Amino acid sequence: MDQQLAWYLAGPALGLCVVALRWLLNERLAATGAWSELVERGPARLGTRGWLLIGVIAGGVVFGLFGSSLDGYGYLTEHFGAPVVVAVLVAAGVLIGFGAKTAGGCTSGNGLSGNAILSPASFVATATFFGTAILVSFVIEALL
Amino acid sequence: MKRLAAFVVGAVFGLVLSWSGMTNPQVLRDGLLFRDPYLMLFFASALVTAFVGLRLLKVLQARTLLTGEPVAWTTVRPERRHVAGSVLFGTGWAVAAVCPGPIAAQLGQGVPWALATAAGLVLGIYLYRRSTAGAPSATVKNARPSPVSASASP
Repeated sequence: MDQQLAWYLAGPALGLCVVALRWLLNERLAATGAWSELVERGPARLGTRGWLLIGVIAGGVVFGLFGSSLDGYGYLTEHFGAPVVVAVLVAAGVLIGFGAKTAGGCTSGNGLSGNAILSPASFVATATFFGTAILVSFVIEALL
Repeated sequence: MKRLAAFVVGAVFGLVLSWSGMTNPQVLRDGLLFRDPYLMLFFASALVTAFVGLRLLKVLQARTLLTGEPVAWTTVRPERRHVAGSVLFGTGWAVAAVCPGPIAAQLGQGVPWALATAAGLVLGIYLYRRSTAGAPSATVKNARPSPVSASASP
């Protein structure tokens, strides 16, 4: 797992996760929804959404054992000290959580699951967050 | 059993998100800056696979394997909140160079920075819930039948 899995394997595998959850439980694969259940119910009373989140963490554990570990944190640790990076990540996390809840989903809930069922709101949300993220990335690049 | 199924799907999801580099901020940033086509190819191929798979379930009138209920879903009409929320989400996504699924996978990998992003994410969800407490659920109010039945009407 030291090398990035080829996109033509990784992409379909990710898509099949959406199909599998729908076929098994008739549920939407949505990471923000999974986090939400943790916030709503606390760690002791998790349902399927919360257990999906535990699974994602477990998938990370498996990769951590066999894959290559992350060195630093990309452009942030290249340009800033640890206290700034932590503050930026907390602030960005708030935007991610509040924004995704407002929009009814994130990259998985709207971007994958919502678009795959041809939900018009997900088309709008996905175009908006991809457009915004590309724009913000270029702005950051210009300012650094 | 349902929780175990969700856990297993989540584990595969988390492993794929990790192995594809979505837990590496550099990979995501290179994708958003069009330095590397991986992100877009990965996302597009995932979407096409999910679309085809869900269509098959619909066409075959599949029932869920664990509950036996018919596989069905509802679509949502676009509203301002989908744009406004996605502007906020897209900004956070670009700045942290990570989204909610990979944040969980990073925690599993033992990436210490993910603690900060996860704390912010939980706070953001909490703030949203507080700001909408008592308001009727917009999702339910504006849900409409699945595209199959919707397309049958003019």
